Amino acid sequence: MRNKKKAAVWLHSLPAMILIGAIIVFPILYTAYISLTNMNMFHWDNYELIGLDNYVRALFKVDTGFLTAILTTLLWTALNMIIQVVIAFFIALGLNAPGLKLKNLYKTLLMFPWAMPAYVSILLWKVGIYNTEFGLANKVLVALGFEKINYLSQNVPAFISCMVLNLWMALPFMIMMFDGAFQSIDKSYYESAKMDGAGFWMQLFHITVPSVKPIMAPAVIMTTFTTFKQFDIIYLLTQQKGALTGATLQTILTYAHQNAFVSNNYGLSSAVSMIIFVLIVIISLFLNRGLKEEV
Amino acid sequence: MSKKKVKQKAGLAVLNLVFILLCLIGLVPILYALSLSLSSGTAALSSKLSFLPTGFTLANYKNILVEEPFLQWLWNSIVLAVGTVIVAMACSVTSAYAFSRFRFKGRIQALRGLLILNAFPQILTMFAIFRLFKLLHLLNNRWGLVLIYAGSMCIFSIQNLKGYFDTIPVEIEEASKLDGATELQMLIKIILPLARPAIIVTSVMVLIFVWNEYLFATTFMLNENTYTLAGGLYQLQANDYSRSWPLFTAAAILVSVPILVIFFVIQKHMVSGLTAGGVKG
Repeated sequence: MRNKKKAAVWLHSLPAMILIGAIIVFPILYTAYISLTNMNMFHWDNYELIGLDNYVRALFKVDTGFLTAILTTLLWTALNMIIQVVIAFFIALGLNAPGLKLKNLYKTLLMFPWAMPAYVSILLWKVGIYNTEFGLANKVLVALGFEKINYLSQNVPAFISCMVLNLWMALPFMIMMFDGAFQSIDKSYYESAKMDGAGFWMQLFHITVPSVKPIMAPAVIMTTFTTFKQFDIIYLLTQQKGALTGATLQTILTYAHQNAFVSNNYGLSSAVSMIIFVLIVIISLFLNRGLKEEV
Repeated sequence: MSKKKVKQKAGLAVLNLVFILLCLIGLVPILYALSLSLSSGTAALSSKLSFLPTGFTLANYKNILVEEPFLQWLWNSIVLAVGTVIVAMACSVTSAYAFSRFRFKGRIQALRGLLILNAFPQILTMFAIFRLFKLLHLLNNRWGLVLIYAGSMCIFSIQNLKGYFDTIPVEIEEASKLDGATELQMLIKIILPLARPAIIVTSVMVLIFVWNEYLFATTFMLNENTYTLAGGLYQLQANDYSRSWPLFTAAAILVSVPILVIFFVIQKHMVSGLTAGGVKG
């Protein structure tokens, strides 16, 4: 009976395990192997094992740019998350204001950026909004009598442009999560707070914020990961093949991708990938533990 | 009393105004693209500010359908999406069932391992997969891409389905176990019909993923005949865009509309599915 059960488990999960093993696990192991070699464009077949050299290069040589990429990624994640959570909180709060009749219409309209295919949105923004000559952003500036701006040619404006686009794409999800969380708060808390004479901000900080915190934690953690792993926006806006805009912004993911597919530095790119992988494992183990304790 | 009412009304009016503004900000890039796609070719490239289509025409839509291989891209995307859904669901349904119903050694560890693997961005192993596929002659091959997509969505599907299977009471199966049904019969005859909403929603989300994926599609498909919609649109904007930007807006609208429709149909389930998968893991 026991063996039969064991066989059943294996039989049921075998197809998935083969697929995941072939497409996810094996490539990770292979990346780990490549990270120990000097594989690059000139050493496509005749590469050699060179030990941990690539790791040393990535972590201790500033000119490889990996450390800058880490800092950029951290700044990107932190700024995006703070702005996103604060704005989404207040927009959702507004949606839940008593007496707002068109709530559902607003909610539907606000969801559009989330529903759009991401790459379509990014490419539309790239040409439609940020293009120097006929992008909407500059058309508006000119109509208001200002100078045109080259949004993507330098790092700081490019970073802000990418961030605005990321907020545009990511806010709807956050707003909907907050909206759901607000609706799950017991209304009687507010009633009794009002009886005690608590004002709007009092209620906000003593009832609303503590009540939504545990509900929002998974969504916020998930979004933090997505923001940390954001690749498409920076890649498509500033560093498409043959259409570099001048900004040299790199997050760790675009950095790994660039070293693999542009400068053909496969060993270094793989070492960077493995470092990121270890980071993610550590962070997610840490976060999972935190989550369970809270629940 | 009436003073308070006036204040409340004024507050609501301001709030409505704010929301109308927010919705406009949210929709402007999309509406602008829509307006350009309906304008004559020169309007898109002029520096004049205009939100309404100038010289209303459907020429861009006609051109994208006739002059560019849009229908070929569409067909490629559909084949890929359907293939991926079939492979991903076939692999994940049985395994989600095993994780939900059987208690075996290493179950928790396996679930946790899947969670971590799922957190790993696939871009980072893209080169390794590229090299392997080159050796195996799977580049420029639809089935190669189907395998990649199915593999990357398999974990998500397992988590999502397992979360739903967990909510189906075991008693239902125990009754039929007494009748002598095997595990597989039970899964097919009892669980699958009960879990139909979850299976549909998960499949649709896999479908959307494939439809929206551009990076692997443009890296692994190097041949114009094998481009997906994403690859085709990417090429459209990467080429000289003074010619193709109006075409691109039309293509962007055509690609987005089905996704928008599907999204709003399943949106309610999607949010609950996401949170359920995220929390329970």
